[in-house]
Order: sequence, then structure tokens, then C-alpha cells
Amino acid sequence: MFFEQLGGNLIQGVVLGAVYGMATMGLSLIFGVLKVVNVGHGAFIMVGAFVTLFLFSSLGISPIIAVPVAFMVGMGLGLIFYYTTIRKLIKAPELATLLATFSMGVLLEELVKLVFGSEFRGYNWEVGKIDLGITVLPMAKLYACAGSILIAVLLFLWFKKTRAGSAVRSVVEDSEGARVCGINVGGAYALSFSLGIGLTVASGVLLTMFIPVGINPYMGGGYTLKAFVIAVLGGLSSPYGAFFGGLVFGLIENGSYTLFAYIPGVEPFALTRFLSFVILLVILLIRPTGILSAK
Amino acid sequence: MKRSFAILVLFMFVFAGVSFAGAAPDKIVIGHPACLSGKYAKAGEQAVGGIKACVDWVNNFNGGVKIGGKKVPLEYKYYDCESKKEAVTSLIGRLITVDKVDVVFAPYSSGLTLRGAPVAESHQMLYMDHGGANNKIFRQGFRSIVQTIGPATSYHMGTLDMIHQIDPDAKKVALAYEDSEFAKMVMEGAKDHAKALGFQVVFERTYPKGVTDLTPLLSALKASKPDFVLGGGHFEDGQLFNRQMADLNINVNALSLIAAATLPAFYKALTTMAEGVMGPSHWEYGVKYSGEEAQATGLPWIGPSQEEFLELFKKATGEDMLPDYHAAEAGAQVLAYVLGAQGADSVDSKKVRDVLGELQFMSFYGGWDVDDSGMQVGHTMVDVQWQDGTRVIVWPEEAQTGKVCYPMPTFQEKVKGAKAVPK
Repeated sequence: MFFEQLGGNLIQGVVLGAVYGMATMGLSLIFGVLKVVNVGHGAFIMVGAFVTLFLFSSLGISPIIAVPVAFMVGMGLGLIFYYTTIRKLIKAPELATLLATFSMGVLLEELVKLVFGSEFRGYNWEVGKIDLGITVLPMAKLYACAGSILIAVLLFLWFKKTRAGSAVRSVVEDSEGARVCGINVGGAYALSFSLGIGLTVASGVLLTMFIPVGINPYMGGGYTLKAFVIAVLGGLSSPYGAFFGGLVFGLIENGSYTLFAYIPGVEPFALTRFLSFVILLVILLIRPTGILSAK
Repeated sequence: MKRSFAILVLFMFVFAGVSFAGAAPDKIVIGHPACLSGKYAKAGEQAVGGIKACVDWVNNFNGGVKIGGKKVPLEYKYYDCESKKEAVTSLIGRLITVDKVDVVFAPYSSGLTLRGAPVAESHQMLYMDHGGANNKIFRQGFRSIVQTIGPATSYHMGTLDMIHQIDPDAKKVALAYEDSEFAKMVMEGAKDHAKALGFQVVFERTYPKGVTDLTPLLSALKASKPDFVLGGGHFEDGQLFNRQMADLNINVNALSLIAAATLPAFYKALTTMAEGVMGPSHWEYGVKYSGEEAQATGLPWIGPSQEEFLELFKKATGEDMLPDYHAAEAGAQVLAYVLGAQGADSVDSKKVRDVLGELQFMSFYGGWDVDDSGMQVGHTMVDVQWQDGTRVIVWPEEAQTGKVCYPMPTFQEKVKGAKAVPK
């Protein structure tokens, strides 16, 4: 029974972890390139969730189609916020960008509340399930997991194989050097910020495929916290590290529950959260660049 | 001269006697720090509508409150407390000392009710609770408080009674709920009642507020193979609970979720996955409490019928909307006060409180009776079940609008479009 439950939870953890990883890549990309900590991260995830809800509930469009739509919406939002706010604050003290991204998050939450109201919503996309014996996996969760892996691979290929990707990498390595070599550093910043926001909004779609309820304007707060833990776990400035950090986080979150359940007198869920933040603190103390980041 | 003086003294005594016996005020004022904005605005709006509706009934259908041989009209004085604790305390002080109200109705929610209680207590003012369900309110030793809403520990009693009656084979119950004061109190009552009825609690776990994935907990719950599940805490986790039980194919005979399953948004989000899911409610439009029902149970009846209450509520709010339980319990509280004041033949808080302590009656809201601490013990929660997209009151039998669908369809059947239909 123990191994059955542990196995089942670990499978669920991998699937969820891939989505968590994808939901953190945008945060790490923006920090890696612009050194901006997006504390409004969760609000962009929320936008993705509402894009899915609107497309599915009002127009009957599949959440799979909602992924590229949300990505484009996110890219658009990213460009708007970059050119109206972030560009002017890149050289400002870190507190300025922290406040700016926090304000963006609040602005988005209140705008969405104005349009959709504050009630908790959800949608019901039934596309079958796979019974693995030790656990049951809805196909929607598998699609979310597969979508996350696919997007991570595409991002990797974009960085490695395209000129734009190479330009962004060179800006990450040495922005002054890149400028001397004729690379449009401002353009690379704008592209990275909008790409990061695009990925984050798209991850909101994938998260609702995993959990299609509880969609409301303030749903992002919990995901922001998790994203920071995952980003630190995977290396703050590495999108790929963040993806693998997500996988590790999902495994810890789900796997540890089964283990903690065997400690008499404790509520396992309370300890899984506790463990997540202990891990965060330990990593910050011993390896602040993240355990999965390159030395 | 002596004779004139004697007549004068006699006249004064007679006059004074009449004055004491008939100390009827010109009006009776209900004071209320209402939640008309802030996080409890929706519940507060309903409560104000319910109170206005019943004040209207008392004044225009009952002719007022009978005190000192005459009918005295009710007046309702309320301020917006913005759902804030600090505003509640200052407004209750103002209502008592400036507006000179005769009774204070507590604001919505356990937290706000508890915050206002010491203020009312310090003025020895009768404090009536229509929106605070937490039993802890009545464990503080307050002497001026009485409750109309049922206590949290009673939420799942009806569900357990129903399953005990309709399925003698059901033995195993699983409890999974939010780690919050309210949910813990609900489940404390459920656990005690389940054990008293002979059920075996095979699983009991909590989850934190704001949880986004219940899969590990539900996987463990599934392994305990319960016959039925009681759970929830708030609306958002109730949605998640139902959704992820469906994801994991956790099929049980009954699933009852507090604070979520009775709301229309619950079905809207889950559609067919919510079929057959139940939830306890203090009151639902459609309950069948009536004068005849009261007569049959030996309780006095007061107040409007449900349909009359609906019309009065619409008139009071100026909107074509249905009253929910927040409106009903607040309205029923007006009726309780009227009976208390009439029984005491006074508006003196202590006298009315003493009468309320002994009072039993029925209204459109159901039964009313309080224990020594002032906690409601006479009101029975109703259990609501989603059947073909409609909320049906399935318990108690005297209030039901339809039979229960038990066992509810499996989640695999629901995916294929199965509806909860009573057998």
C-alpha cells in the first residue's frame, strides 16, 4: 500500500512538476536577461487562466488552442509593459523594478476583476483518463505535461539555433560586449521580457488544464510563491534550470506527502509546505545561484 | 383640605401605576452594524433585505409588537461596518449610546460577531447573532447573546442522520477539510455525531488554506475506501475537492461539501461532475416550513410564509432576486425578537434575553430554540443536492423538495452525462 501510494504520488508529482517548471521559466528568463524580479508573476499566470476560461466557456475553443493564443496575449502584454515601464527602470535601483512589477500584477488583477468579477470559476474539459493501477491520470493533465515539455524544448532550440536566441544569450553573457558587436541590446531586452511574459501567460493555460477550477483574479499569489522556490532551486537566471527545478519541486511536494503521512500526529500537507521553504532557505544559504545552475 | 390631599395622592398613585404597567415605548429600534461593503457585502446585503422584509411584516401585517397593551412599531437603524472589525465595535457603541437602540443585531461572520460581543455585553445590551456560526462565540461566557444561525458543529448532522436512515450498510466515513477554525469546528461536530450513530471514521486529514492540489490527500483518502465523504472549508477548495475526486475516480455513495456545494457557481464550474454532490445549508428557498408543520410539531408559528417573505424581500431590496439563507436567518431573528419582547412585555434587554432563553417557535426559516449559553439548538440545517443542474432540498424530510439520489452516480457515469436521479 505504501509503495503503491508513493508511486502514484510521484507520477502525479512529475506531471505537475513539468507544469510548475514551465510556469517558472518566464520568471527565470526575465531575471536572467534583465535582472528584473517579476513579483507580479502570478498575475500573468492568472491572465492565462482567464484566456482559457473565456475561449473555452464562451467560444468553445479547446484549451490546447488557448496555449498559443495566451502566448501571443502575453507577448503583447510584455511589450506594452516593457516599453511603458520596464525600459525606463532597467538601470534604476532594484526596488524600483520590484515595485513596478508588483504594480503590474495589481493592475492586472483589478482589471480582470472589473471585467469578470471576483468569483471562483472553472471549466469542465473531459478528454478521458488513463488508469495506471496505482493512480489515475486525466488526459488533460498529460496534455499539460506534454505541452510544458514541448515548450521547454522549443525554447531551448530557439536559444541555440536562431540568431535572435543567440543575440539574447550574448546579452546575458555581456551586454556591453554585445552592444559593441552591433547587437540591439534594447531589442533583446524587449524580446526577452515579452517572451518571458508570453511563457508565463501560456503556463496559466497549462495550469488550468491541470486544475480547471479556482480561477479568479487573485489566484496567482500561491503560484508566485512556488515559482520563486522553483526558480531558486533551478538557478534564478536559467529557464532550463527552472524547468528541472519544477520537476524536482513537484516530486518533493507529492512524494513527501506519502512519507509525512506515516509520522503520527502530524498533518502531512503542513509539512510539505514547511519542507518546500526549508529547501529554499538551505539552497539560498549553501548555493544561492541554485543547485541546478552551472558553476 | 385633608380630603383633597388624599384624592390627589390617590390620583398620583393611580397615574403612576398606569404609567408603570403600560411602559410601552413609542417605537422599538433594532440596531445593526451591517456589512454593506467589503468582503461580506453580498451576505450583508441579503441580511439587510431579510431584516427589512420581516420588519415590514411585523409593522404592516402584525400591527407591530404588542407591549403594555398596545402595538408598538419596529424601526430598523443600520450603518455600514464595511466588514471591518474596528468599525463594528465603534458602530455598536454608537447604536447603543447615541441612537439608543433596544437590541443590537450582530454583523455577518463569526469573526465580526465575536468582535462586537464584548461591546454589547459591557452595555448589557441584547446582542442577536444571525451570521456567526462558530461555537466559540458561546464559550466566552457572554450573557446577552442569542443565536439564530445554527452552530458550526451542526452542519453535517443532518447529512449523517440521512445516510444513517437510508443506508444501514454505510459504515465508513472519510473527513477531509480545510485547516481553518470554521471547518475544524464543523468536522468536530460531524465526527462526534458520526461516532454516536455508529459510523467508523476511516480517514481524517486537513489541508491548508489556499491549497492548489489535493491529489496526495485524495489518493490516501481513496485507499481508505470510505462509503461516503464529508469535506470542504470554503468555496474554492470545495471546487478543487470535487474536481480532483473526479480526476482520481474516487467513487463514493455520497459527497457533502460545506460552504461550496450549495452555491450556483459550484455547478457552473463543475457542471456534470457536481451531479449528486450535496452540501448543508441553513435555509434554501423552497423549504416547506409552514403553519401546519409547526402545528404538527407542537410549536407556535410566527411570521410570513415563504412566499410572503419572498415578496417582502423583493420589495425591501427593490430587486427581483431570491433571498438566500443570509436573508432568511436575519429575518427570522426579527421574529424571534418580537416574540421575546412580547413575552417579556418589555424591551428591557435582560427580560427579553430571559424570555428568548425559554422560547421555542417555528417560522419560514424553521425551528428556533437556544440553550443556556444562547447557542441555537432548535434549527435544523437542510441538505441540498445537485440533481440535473438544480438544487434540491433532500433533508430533513419535513423540508425536502425532492428525494435524495443515493448513491450518487460514479464519476465515470457523470462523464457520460449521467444525472443524479432519485431511485
